[in-house]
Amino acid sequence: MHDLAASTPTLTAQIGAFHGRILLGAWCLFWVLMIVISVQEHVVDGGNRWWEPFVWEGSSAVSASTLAWLMLRYLAGPSAGAPGQWLRRLLPWLPLLCVIFFATNFSLRYGIYALANAHYSHEPWSHMFLYESLKFFLFFGLWTGIVFGLHSFTQWREQNERLQRLQKALAEAQLAQLKAQLRPHFLFNALNTISSVMQVDVARADRLLTRLADLLRISLTAGERDTVPLQEELRLLQLYASIMEERFTDRVSVRWRIPEEMLGVPIPTLLLQPLLENAFKHGVEPSTAPQVIDICAHRDDTTLHVMIRNTCAKNPDFGREGVGLRNCRERLHVLYGDAATLSLTGGHGEVTATVSLPVSGVHA
Amino acid sequence: MIRTLVVDDEAPARAKLQRWLSEQEDIEVIATVSDGLAAADAIAAASPQVVFLDIQMPGMSGLEVAAQLDADTAPLLVFVTAHDEHAIKAFELNAIDYLLKPYDKDRLLRTLGRIRSRLVAPKAVGNAVRTARMQLGPSERLLVPEGEKLRPIECESIQWLQADDNYVHVHTQGRAYLLRRTLQDLLEQLGEERFVRIHKSTAINLAEVHSLEPLFKGDYDVLLRSGQRVRMSRRYKDALFARMGR
Repeated sequence: MHDLAASTPTLTAQIGAFHGRILLGAWCLFWVLMIVISVQEHVVDGGNRWWEPFVWEGSSAVSASTLAWLMLRYLAGPSAGAPGQWLRRLLPWLPLLCVIFFATNFSLRYGIYALANAHYSHEPWSHMFLYESLKFFLFFGLWTGIVFGLHSFTQWREQNERLQRLQKALAEAQLAQLKAQLRPHFLFNALNTISSVMQVDVARADRLLTRLADLLRISLTAGERDTVPLQEELRLLQLYASIMEERFTDRVSVRWRIPEEMLGVPIPTLLLQPLLENAFKHGVEPSTAPQVIDICAHRDDTTLHVMIRNTCAKNPDFGREGVGLRNCRERLHVLYGDAATLSLTGGHGEVTATVSLPVSGVHA
Repeated sequence: MIRTLVVDDEAPARAKLQRWLSEQEDIEVIATVSDGLAAADAIAAASPQVVFLDIQMPGMSGLEVAAQLDADTAPLLVFVTAHDEHAIKAFELNAIDYLLKPYDKDRLLRTLGRIRSRLVAPKAVGNAVRTARMQLGPSERLLVPEGEKLRPIECESIQWLQADDNYVHVHTQGRAYLLRRTLQDLLEQLGEERFVRIHKSTAINLAEVHSLEPLFKGDYDVLLRSGQRVRMSRRYKDALFARMGR
C-alpha cells in the first residue's frame, strides 16, 4: 500500500486526522463518564469523601492516557502496516504495560493522598493488582477493538478507492482500444485492403479478414483482466501489425525480438497496442520512404523492458501526448506505483517508446 | 480513350483500381503513382483527363494536390477516401465525384458513367479544385516547376507575382519561377490574407511592402523590402490602403 499512500497523501491524512479527532473525543468522554459514575456511586452509598473516587479514576485516566499515547506513538503507530500486524506488534507489550499501569496508578494515588494529608486505605496488594489488571485488560480490549475497527475501515476505503481507479483506467483503455479498432481510418482502410487483395489472392484476403475479426474479438473481451501474459499482448500487436503491413506492403518492415523466457511475464492489458499504433501513425503513414519498426524486450533481475522503436521521416514532436499515452501512464501508475515507467526518447529520425515494469507483477 | 491517372499511397488499392479501369475499353491508365508530389508531377507532365486521387497520403494530401491545379483547366478529379467526413460533406454539396473505400465495381462503374458524360459536356458540375481549396483554406505551399519536376515552396517566401499572358512569374528572394496559371486563379489559391492585387498584372505579398511612392495621376510605386519597385495602378489603390490600414 505504500505507493498508494504516497500517491494520495491528502486522502490518507484526512482520514487519519478525522479518525484521530473522533478517537480523542470518545476517549475523553469515556473517562469523564467513568469519574462521574464512580463519584455518584460513592455518594449514593452514603460516602462523604467524594474526592477519593475522583482521585482513583482520575489517576487511572492519567496513566491510561499516557500509556495509550506511548503505545500509538512508539509501539505501533496507527498508520503503519495492516491492522492485523498492528495488533500482533502490540500484544507482546501487554504484560509490561499492565505493570506500568498499576505502578503509575498507585504512585499517583499515594502521592495525592500524601499531599492531602490523608491515608489511602485499600484492599491487600494482591487483590488490588488483580482488580486493576482486570480493569486494564477490559479497557484495553475495548479500545483496541475501536482503533482496530477504524483502522480496518480506513484501509478498506483505500483499497476500494484503488480498485475503482484501476477499473476506471482499464475501462478507459478498453474503450480507447475499441475506438482505435473501430476508428474509421483503420477499419475502412483494412476493409479496403481486403477488398483489393481478394481480387487476386483469395487465400490472402481470407487470412486478412480472419485477422481483422480476431483483432476485433480480442478488443471486445480485453477489458476482463487487469494483466495478461506478455505473449497474449504480443498476439494482439502481431494481428494489428500484420494488417498494417498488408496495407503498407512496401513501406514498412516490422521486426520482433522477444526472448522466449519473457513471454510469461504479466503486463497490463492493452498497454502496448497504442504505442504500436503511434509507430505506424507517426512513422509509416506520413512517409513515402520505407520505415522500420522494432519490437523488442529484455529484462534484468526485477524489471521487464519492452521497446517499440520506429524510424520516421520527420523529427518527432514530443510536446503533445495523446490520450493513448496518457492512459498508458495512468494505468502503469495505478498498477505499479513508481515501480513502472513509460518513456519516449529519440530524435534524428527515430522514436523509441520504452515500458519498464516489475517482473514480479502487480503489487497487492 | 480517356487518359486516366491513379494516385494512392497503398499498393493493393492502386492495383485494384488499375485492374478495374483497365477492363474498360475506353479508359487508358497512363500512370499509377503513390504520393501527392508525384501526382502533381504526373498531372503536369502527362495532362490526364481524369485523376483518381486518394486523399490521405504522405507528404501532400490529395486535397492539397487539387488546390495546386488551375481551376479552369484541371482534369476531372475523383477523390478516393476511406474516411474524411468534412471533405465528403463538401463533395456532396458541390456535386464532386468521390469514391468511398471500400467500393465495389458497380460503384466504380457509376462513377465512370458520370465521368463519360462530363467529358462530353464539361463544366456542368461543381469544380473539384475550388471545393478542395474551400476545404483547405489558402495554401501554405505552392508547387513550382524546377527542371522536369515540381517542388513545393513556402508561400510566405513569395515576394510578388507578375502575370504574363497565361503564365505567372512567381518572385522569391533571388529567384523567379514560371507557372502556367492565370494570376486570378493563383490568387484564389493563395488567398487574400497574404496577397493583394495592385495592378491588372501584378500582386504583392503584403508582408513584403516597404513603402509607397506617389507618381502622377494617382498612380504609385510600391517599394518592396527586397528593393524591387512595382507599379500600382490607381484602380487598386483603395484596396491596398484598406488592407494596410490607411
